[in-house]
Amino acid sequence: MNDSKKPKIIAIYGKGGIGKSSTASNVAAACADEGYKVMIIGCDPKSDSSITLLGGKRIPTILDLIRKGVDITEDDVVFEGYNGVKCVEVGGPEPGIGCAGRGIIVAIQKLKKISKVQDECDLVIYDVPGDIVCGGFVAPIRKGLVSEAYVLTSGEYMPLYAANNICRGLSKINTPLSGVICNARNVSREEEIVGKFAEEIGSDLIAFIPKEQIVQDCERDGFSVMEKAPDSEIAQVYRNLARAIMSRNKSVMANALEDERLRELTR
Amino acid sequence: MEKDKKEISIIHPRPSSIVAALYTLRDLNVDVAILHGPPGCSFKHARLLEEDGIHVVTTSLDENGFVFGGHDELVALLGKVTEMFNPKLIGIVGTCVSMIIGEELHDAVLEANPDVPVIEVEVHAGYRNNTKGVLFALESALDSGIITEKEFDRQKILLEEATMVEKRHGAASKEYLAPSRGDVKYKVAQRIIELLKEGKRGITIMNAKKETGYMFADITVAVNEIAKQLGVESNIVNMANIDDTLGLPRVRHHAKCIMDDFKERGIKIHHIIGGMDEYPIAGDIAGKLIEEKYSDYDFVVITGVPHAIPMESISGMEIVSVTNGPRQVLPMKEMGHDHVIVEIDLHPKTLGVNNIVESEFGATLREVAKEE
Repeated sequence: MNDSKKPKIIAIYGKGGIGKSSTASNVAAACADEGYKVMIIGCDPKSDSSITLLGGKRIPTILDLIRKGVDITEDDVVFEGYNGVKCVEVGGPEPGIGCAGRGIIVAIQKLKKISKVQDECDLVIYDVPGDIVCGGFVAPIRKGLVSEAYVLTSGEYMPLYAANNICRGLSKINTPLSGVICNARNVSREEEIVGKFAEEIGSDLIAFIPKEQIVQDCERDGFSVMEKAPDSEIAQVYRNLARAIMSRNKSVMANALEDERLRELTR
Repeated sequence: MEKDKKEISIIHPRPSSIVAALYTLRDLNVDVAILHGPPGCSFKHARLLEEDGIHVVTTSLDENGFVFGGHDELVALLGKVTEMFNPKLIGIVGTCVSMIIGEELHDAVLEANPDVPVIEVEVHAGYRNNTKGVLFALESALDSGIITEKEFDRQKILLEEATMVEKRHGAASKEYLAPSRGDVKYKVAQRIIELLKEGKRGITIMNAKKETGYMFADITVAVNEIAKQLGVESNIVNMANIDDTLGLPRVRHHAKCIMDDFKERGIKIHHIIGGMDEYPIAGDIAGKLIEEKYSDYDFVVITGVPHAIPMESISGMEIVSVTNGPRQVLPMKEMGHDHVIVEIDLHPKTLGVNNIVESEFGATLREVAKEE
């Protein structure tokens, strides 16, 4: 389906808890509905990125199997979820022990070695933890796997602050930004604020996802909106976002704002 | 905080703090030292230390260990070594990887609960001065009641001095130091014999770092043997840092062994200039002695850490210095030492011994003396 032979490989960054995994899984499902071959690679040690694509089930993670000393094959770690979406979870150590960052590096190298699924896809989404606290958490980008980065934020100050920092980080490692997505939290002038932020850093606001209870309801049941409530308005928003991402070919080196300007923006 | 501008950025690899901690544990007479880290860490020194009679083992953390931590491995290894070696004192040393991922050595000790004291050293190799490794090991030994506060304070001063000695004229004095084999031993041996024959008066100063003294002492012995053969024994004054009442247990033992050997071979040490861990400060004592009593002597043969002897006290003499550090040649030449000799691979030969071992320069002196 994709015109170019190379898959579109994206990562969605943003403050922890802002809705990256929800957005990623709904975009994955929406793209699959459009007929694209899609893969989602969860890089959070909590391994919850693909859970709503698998009917609430958990899959064995790459690091679980590495730890057990299993001679891993593709079938052990790549699982098919909703509408053929390939799901992988990197996994990681228990909180407070070992090194999750190193875990991501080891796991994505392993995956690259044992599976060519990524190359056969139209869209690959790396779902990365929000706080890029060390080198491992940007490994998908650093290792040249990710070609497009998106930033997800609400119109609240702290998520914007985090988004701005992420933009600074992306520029530092020479990774262009492909767009800003607003996952609304129902704060005042939200679309305007995030739109302005996107403009000032040199990018675009490519979607505004309103806050809808239905997203939560579907997640609680272990499903994406696309699967459980395909006729809802919010499903259409995700569909539009999916199309926007698939057709997007503009990316810029983001110009992070000064703290002062960022505060002004949210006032 | 602004970085100290006076610090030069040294680009050749430097002695490791992890290794320094291992050697300190040895001097504290641990029976087993556990490296908590990857199997390759400190490999060469671990092997050398095994030659020296202690067991050095590793938790062998691999990629899994890096990611998931190595607590269980450390607990298991503590149990295993207790069973295998029946130790009376155990040491655990951190490594870069275990420290970066935040491993708690103490948690593992509590869980394994061996019924002997354990010295836990949280150290990695990222310190500018490897003496940090010594310091951390001593701090932990102090906490476990293995050494006294007094000994700890004494060691701390020595470490600071040692760091300064290396910064001033040692391997930490330049950004990059190429190794050198120094001057030809044969020629320098000839020169010393010539000086002795001419009836010149000389001083030998052994200022050796701990066990390296087993070989440097041989040079003191050789010079005295030849002076005796030539009938000019009384022209030589000997100094050595072999006070056996100072330092950690193993270091005192070395001093006693070397002293006994000197006695057995009929070598009189006129001045004991300190303990075998006092090489950073014993040089000053030697310097003062020379200024007071021997300032008119003609030549001096300094072994061990020759760059710790202040130049003011010896600048009028012909200076022969013997080091085991190929990177020490250039700084000592620059200080003004006339002849600099390197005893290559000295350290491995001085581990696990209790007697003076033959040095290459000592052997050369004896051979040249025979020919003449």
